[in-house]
Amino acid sequence: MEKEKRQRNLNSSETKIDMVLFIPPAKVFVLHLICGLGLASAFWAAQNFYSINLVSNPAETLHLIWIVEASVVILLYSLFRHNPDKCSYFKAVGRALVGLPAGAIVNALGAIVLGAPIGLQHFRKTVHWSLLMSVLTFVPAASVFGSSWTDWHRIFAQTKSIGAVDYMICFPAHGAAIGAWFGAWPMPLDWERPWQEWPICVTYGAIVGYLSGMMTSFGFIAFKNWRRRVKGD
Amino acid sequence: MVEIWGFWRSDNWGGRSWAFTVFLGMMVLHILAILLFTRGFLLTRTELSQYSQCSDVFDSPCSPPYDHNVNNSSGAPGCWTKPSVDRLVIIVFDAIRFDFVAPSTFYPEKKPWMDKLQVIHELASQRPSSARIFKAIADPPTTSLQRLKGLTTGGLPTFIDVGNSFGAPAIVEDNLIHQLVANGKRMVMMGDDTWVQLFPHHFNISYPFPSFNVKDLHTVDDGCVKNLLPTLYKEDWDVLIAHFLGVDHAGHIFGVDSSPMIEKLEQYNGILKNVVEVLESHSGPGDLHENTMLLVMGDHGQTLNGDHGGGSAEEVETSIFALSLKKPPTSALAAFDKSTCQLDMQGRRICLSSIQQLDFTVTVSALLGLPFPFGSIGHVNSELFALAAGTWNLKRLATHDRQSLSELDEWMQNYVNVLCINSWQVKKYIDVYSSLSLIGFSEKDLLHVSELYAQAQELWSLTPESSVLREKESSSTLLPAIKRQIEAYSAFLASVASLARSNWTEFNLKLMGIGFCVMLFSLFLHASSIKRLDNLCGLHSPSSGDSGNSFGMIFAYIAVLIRACSFLSNSYILEEGRVASFLLATTAMLQLRCAIMKKMMLLEALALVFLVPFLRISIELGQLKQAVSSLFLKMDPSRTLGINGDSQFWMSITQFVPILALMIVAYLLYKSTVCCSSHGILKYVIVGSLSNFVLIAIYWACNDNLLNLPMVPRVIMVNLIPRIIYAVGVFQVLILGIVQLLVRETTVNLEGSTIFKVLAMLSAWSSTIIVISGKQGPLAVLALLIGGWCIIRLMRLERNAENEYSGSSLFYALPVTQWSLLAVCMFFSTGHWCAFDGLRYAAAFVGFDEFNLIRQAILLTIDTFGFSHIFPIFGLPFLVACCCPSRQTKQLFSLRLCQVNFLLENFIYNFNGFRAVITDTVMFQVYLMYGLITAVSVTFTILCVTIQRRHLMVWGLFAPKFVFDVVGLVLTDIMICLSSLYYMV
Repeated sequence: MEKEKRQRNLNSSETKIDMVLFIPPAKVFVLHLICGLGLASAFWAAQNFYSINLVSNPAETLHLIWIVEASVVILLYSLFRHNPDKCSYFKAVGRALVGLPAGAIVNALGAIVLGAPIGLQHFRKTVHWSLLMSVLTFVPAASVFGSSWTDWHRIFAQTKSIGAVDYMICFPAHGAAIGAWFGAWPMPLDWERPWQEWPICVTYGAIVGYLSGMMTSFGFIAFKNWRRRVKGD
Repeated sequence: MVEIWGFWRSDNWGGRSWAFTVFLGMMVLHILAILLFTRGFLLTRTELSQYSQCSDVFDSPCSPPYDHNVNNSSGAPGCWTKPSVDRLVIIVFDAIRFDFVAPSTFYPEKKPWMDKLQVIHELASQRPSSARIFKAIADPPTTSLQRLKGLTTGGLPTFIDVGNSFGAPAIVEDNLIHQLVANGKRMVMMGDDTWVQLFPHHFNISYPFPSFNVKDLHTVDDGCVKNLLPTLYKEDWDVLIAHFLGVDHAGHIFGVDSSPMIEKLEQYNGILKNVVEVLESHSGPGDLHENTMLLVMGDHGQTLNGDHGGGSAEEVETSIFALSLKKPPTSALAAFDKSTCQLDMQGRRICLSSIQQLDFTVTVSALLGLPFPFGSIGHVNSELFALAAGTWNLKRLATHDRQSLSELDEWMQNYVNVLCINSWQVKKYIDVYSSLSLIGFSEKDLLHVSELYAQAQELWSLTPESSVLREKESSSTLLPAIKRQIEAYSAFLASVASLARSNWTEFNLKLMGIGFCVMLFSLFLHASSIKRLDNLCGLHSPSSGDSGNSFGMIFAYIAVLIRACSFLSNSYILEEGRVASFLLATTAMLQLRCAIMKKMMLLEALALVFLVPFLRISIELGQLKQAVSSLFLKMDPSRTLGINGDSQFWMSITQFVPILALMIVAYLLYKSTVCCSSHGILKYVIVGSLSNFVLIAIYWACNDNLLNLPMVPRVIMVNLIPRIIYAVGVFQVLILGIVQLLVRETTVNLEGSTIFKVLAMLSAWSSTIIVISGKQGPLAVLALLIGGWCIIRLMRLERNAENEYSGSSLFYALPVTQWSLLAVCMFFSTGHWCAFDGLRYAAAFVGFDEFNLIRQAILLTIDTFGFSHIFPIFGLPFLVACCCPSRQTKQLFSLRLCQVNFLLENFIYNFNGFRAVITDTVMFQVYLMYGLITAVSVTFTILCVTIQRRHLMVWGLFAPKFVFDVVGLVLTDIMICLSSLYYMV
């Protein structure tokens, strides 16, 4: 609590632009690393504590993953909220929690449009999958931007990022979506592997896309930072 | 040629005649490519309906088949040959590999699945003269159905056996089973129900079991086991066929190296042991199985993964094990022994011989004394034939005391005679075939074969045949003569077999390659003419490197490529409809994103996005039941929502929703007539369609018994209304064509008139297509309307983005791609799929009860391609006409007029004329693009078929897909030609 207050003071001491544009690459790296570790630990916990995995119990595993990842993502990204003076940390967490189901609905609709199976036997899997997708795509933006339409529009429609936070949101989210799109490709093949079921390979694709999006984002920020320093010199 | 090239080079592009010429050229190229490829790929064989008769043999130059005064053991008269076997037990193990049967010592390494059929090894080593293991070499395609056909007809079945009815697989050619029945043999069948499909009326007793469930390893086998042993004790049959499927299914599911496979083989070993015990216990003189032969055989092999269908050694090598229960006293077998012998694991000496599966029919016919099936091109196999030599020799010995001739000589004499009949029958078949079939053999080959036959016959007449045989001729001079004779016949038969193989089982890769290259060339021409037109008509904007535009374009390329590449895998072909809907959804979502970005056309983008899932659900329903009409409503709600489909409420819903949809379509059509200015005769065409819609509603009401007109019988109504609709439809299309030919007016409002023309054309077709496709028709039309409208509206998204008309017509790439994806989705969502059972035969009989090939074929074509080809292609000008807001383009074009310096002066009498040319050029290009997209996917289908020509599913999946695609391409070309005539001024 105390630490958090200090953090907020620290942030508010900087100007907004600075806050948005320049985040030390190390910090970005740590954030992405924790997000990645969150995913990994969720998988590990599923395997070792509950002895379930994505192939055998997709719905339960997805449930566990999105809960772990959501707590990590919400707590971390809320630190980088816009207008930290006006918006408290808890408010950022709260709006991220609201954004979670909203994003899940959008993701579920998108999946169904693209060909996800509909039917009661797939309902739970689709719900948990779309919640996970929402955590990877929408929740960071919700906690950072809240309901600021211009920011959302900038990130998701125009793909024009300014500043480090934008990169941190934009790249992993797009990576996850594109990864999920590619992840659907092996589904019709007749290899008769259990992982070809909905939504297992789509989830794998999304996670791979998300991880590479995070790497790209870190690389980009590090590159920009380096350029800035070169210019400064 | 030079002229054409000059024409090509000239800048005089755009006129109607030009467009037509180009499209016609494309069509000719496509047809040429397809013909060449098909000639090499789709091996065709004509089925002849002649049957061999018992009495035919007296026409042959050979000596009478046998002494009529000598009775054979059973006393039954033989026919073409001397019967040496009375009863036959055929046990077919589906997909038995040769190494399941052969001892492992014949292979460098012992695998777990080898040496499991120990009974066979034991018998083969104990009775080398009456039991023998053969390596049977099958001919591709190694699928069960084709193999059973080949085994019974003695021919080489191909994918398209002309004369075969597509619906029923029953064999209409002369075959072994037919001959058995015709000659009074009683048959029992058990196991795989394919036999009953192939021979529906032939078996006295049959115990068929369903074969389609691959995952079920035991039903068929257990059924066989239950019936096999009891039947063996009975006397009421002469030929028994037991077809076991377990190994085939185990291979498909688990592969060869798996414990279920080994369990199956061990089970079969037990079964065989029991069968042999029963047979042996009754094989004494005068007993039930005194003269019985046991054949244990496979129809084809399988790869280690359990696949079969192709021509690899693993797939074609199967086995025949033959056991004659009467020991031949002679060593007839020794004369032609070409076997290889080796000791097995237990140190027993086992010999293996080889036989072509092609020879099976004729050898069995010869053993049983039946006429050889008319279409058989096999060769009586000496070793298999010799196994049963004992039976009649025994009698002979009893009657002929004098040992003037050794048994061997006598057997040889008999065999030569059989071969003589065999050669005569094959020659007769070849002659009849080449005189009757459309695509016969080449002259040179025929001549060669005839020469060989003539040589053999000449030798035969020289040979001191049976007359001399009676004399005391020393065998030392006779034997070499007989051997020569046998060689001559064998040479003839071998050359016929190789000729037939090259015609019926080997793809002509050269022709296929040439066809493919022509196709590639046509693609190149297609693409370059689009490019050329783009440069020529001067619409190319200087700032063409616009990112927004090129993104849509690039994605269009990617989508076309993904779809085309998806044809390289059988799984994606099966799911083709869903692949198309996936891509369409992706483009729609990208456009939605774009719409959000620009804050416009949101509604249209959303509508398109949410149209796709409906298309997809109906595609899935089509896959689910893969069958007939009105699934749209009958299954969907009840299945997914768990509502009782029989309830009154849903029944009435299924009746009223199509009529409601029809009303909406009619209303939209009416609305569009009202808002456009009057266009004379075109208006009457649309009014005709509206009245047709009313008729359709009445027709449905009649069918559902909602409406009972007391004065007119229902049957008349049901047939009369569709015929009226067809007549009106034909009349409308004719009127439109004539009007187009006669009236050449240049109206002020060019776009409006084009739209109206399109509308009239579509409405003329719509009533016919709707009535044929049944109740799903209006819903599909509605879906197509919404989809098309969204695509057209969304084009504005990109255009306005640039704030300027950057005229590069490549900007049309994305909408045209979407249009074609929508067309593909429509094909699948109206319940079609690319297989011959995917044709909705019921649709061909809307309005007609009796069958007329041409009429029904036309109706079936309209039903199959109505929504996927006729509507989209005739509706394509909407893209051009609706999207140019006339005011804006007028200015832009007038600005560009000064830049344009091509030879349009001849055309341009006034401004309108110029605009007409521009619109036409764009339309020309749009049609070119649509044609190109279709051609690209067909090219990939061709490529895929070439690569996968030895694939397991080539005849089940790839070839039908190829046929559908090719027909679709030709239809597309024809319709593009017609619409270029109709729409372009």
